[in-house]
Amino acid sequence: MTTADQQSGEPRLRVHDISLAFGEVKTLNGVSFDVNPGELLAVIGPNGAGKTSIFNCLSAVYRPHSGSIHLDGHSLIGVSPTKAARLGVGRTFQNLGLFEHLDVVDNLLLGRHHLMRSGFLAGALWLGRARREEVAHREAVEQVIELLALTPYRRTHVGLLPYGVQKRIELGRALAMEPRVLLLDEPVAGMNLEETEDMARYLVELRKELGVSMILVEHDMHLVMDLADRVLALDFGTPLATGTPAEVQAHPDVIAAYLGGAA
Amino acid sequence: MSVLPFTSRSAARGRPHRNMVLTRADDLRLTRGPWRKAFAVLLVVCYLSLPHWYSDASLSVLTLVAAFAIGSIGLNLLVGYTGQVSLGHAAFVSIGAFATSALGDQRGWPLPAYLAVAVLVGLLVGAIVGPFALRLRGNYLAIVTIGLVFVAEHIYRNWESLSVPVRGTAPTRNAAIELGPLDFGKGLQFGDVVYTREQSLFWLAWALVALTALVAHNITRTRSGRAMQAVRDHDLSAEVIGVNPARTKVGVFAVSGAMAAAGGVVYSFTLGAVDYHELSGGRGLFMSITFLAIIILGGLGTIYGSILGAFLVIYGQRFIADNGADAPILGIPVEKGWLSTGELNGVLFGLLVIGFLLLEPRGLAALWLRVRRWFEKWPFSY
Repeated sequence: MTTADQQSGEPRLRVHDISLAFGEVKTLNGVSFDVNPGELLAVIGPNGAGKTSIFNCLSAVYRPHSGSIHLDGHSLIGVSPTKAARLGVGRTFQNLGLFEHLDVVDNLLLGRHHLMRSGFLAGALWLGRARREEVAHREAVEQVIELLALTPYRRTHVGLLPYGVQKRIELGRALAMEPRVLLLDEPVAGMNLEETEDMARYLVELRKELGVSMILVEHDMHLVMDLADRVLALDFGTPLATGTPAEVQAHPDVIAAYLGGAA
Repeated sequence: MSVLPFTSRSAARGRPHRNMVLTRADDLRLTRGPWRKAFAVLLVVCYLSLPHWYSDASLSVLTLVAAFAIGSIGLNLLVGYTGQVSLGHAAFVSIGAFATSALGDQRGWPLPAYLAVAVLVGLLVGAIVGPFALRLRGNYLAIVTIGLVFVAEHIYRNWESLSVPVRGTAPTRNAAIELGPLDFGKGLQFGDVVYTREQSLFWLAWALVALTALVAHNITRTRSGRAMQAVRDHDLSAEVIGVNPARTKVGVFAVSGAMAAAGGVVYSFTLGAVDYHELSGGRGLFMSITFLAIIILGGLGTIYGSILGAFLVIYGQRFIADNGADAPILGIPVEKGWLSTGELNGVLFGLLVIGFLLLEPRGLAALWLRVRRWFEKWPFSY
């Protein structure tokens, strides 16, 4: 299923047979996949297929009832979301999870929270360490700001910015985390064509420059087919097919799920 | 040398413009730009000169404002920056007031010692209360924190060694207020120049306000402060990007409690004795609400707003107390009608808080921001 050149060593993220249910409703049913270093895996499926639930399991917001998730060999089952972030899970939200009363710089700096150490006391006294840390991480954040062309908005409160820019800021915040795997939950939802193309360009650029592994949940099939190395198709929490975009697109079960074939 | 018309003159001379940010460290400086520096100088001049031309009575009001400002900065960190509503702030203030009495007055401890104990106890109690905020939010947390002022009342009523000799009150008049060679309690003395207790306490209290504001400012601009605001704005997403909400909430409750206790110490300086009825129980709850009113009127989520709010509320309350008795409402002087002056105070401030919440939820601080924006955009400020 994976192409040979990506199979250099262990996969970065290994999800094995996870299941999740809320009462009688099975949201995930035996989902397995691997993500290799630098790979972009797209997860597609109709509404309610369990795409966001996968993300919630990966970022340890939900705890799957069975199965295993390993990132760089560390289990992500039963850890706190904070710990998952520290282990390298970066994430953007479908409906935006920005801190709207803070400016762009502070939002991105919050992405680096888990890389920083100074606590209340060091911060309150503005000790040398806290100060140096602020400066060093501000440098890193400025690089992300430059990469995503956010410079004009640096000091604007994000709540005042247009939706497309907010989506980009959220991508920036996830990048500032220096994640091992980046979870993108519908990064172009609600965007116009121009904004979508911009976002696609950024994603391509990020992969080229940073080599970060990504999982993309998206309804925009053009984007998925253009960007993804592999695609995982889900329906009602059950995996239908995994493979290259072309393979999945042609898979009869996938077509049936989307178009409602004679099942 | 540049010939561009937009280049400022100083840049043309080969020197960057004074407002130019050259390094990240520059960006983090406190007094950036000539306006801020001038304002800082102005504040220092006021601080040094005010006691020379104000009466002692006015100075003790200003010292009381300082006490409320210190406590309000602590509450603003909790409510304004972290979004955790507390109605138990008076209980933390009472810790400082009673430490001054029990340790400073009755046992003769020096100022640094009882101030340190007050701050540590405030910190500790805050850290104990903090975990309640992990499961409760909004109104539910507010209800639980009301419990604090009643627990405090219970403790003060029954812990006899704290509130002798007159029932309910604890003396603070004899607490030593000395820092090294500086005796603020008896009045500062430099050579032949002797200052009164009120003048000296003004200087001490406002130095503590400055210190508290600096500490709070440093917290809010560094890692923990950002975490606080992240928890306030979107706690789920804060957790997912690696902020530990539990640690953040407990930490801010502790810091807030410590600042309230420090405010309580200063509060007790302005009084000869503290009365637990003022700081705990039903009237303690009223005191907590006064603190909330201060930060709402001053500006939630700003530090200077807490100080502005303390001025507005303390001076407003004084003004109503002094002039309210004869003020005619519907033609009838207040005291002859159906309101006491105290009640009138409550009603007017209640209305003021409601008015601000409806019209300018960000308080006096936002009014200032508007003025500033108007001038920044001048002559295109419409």
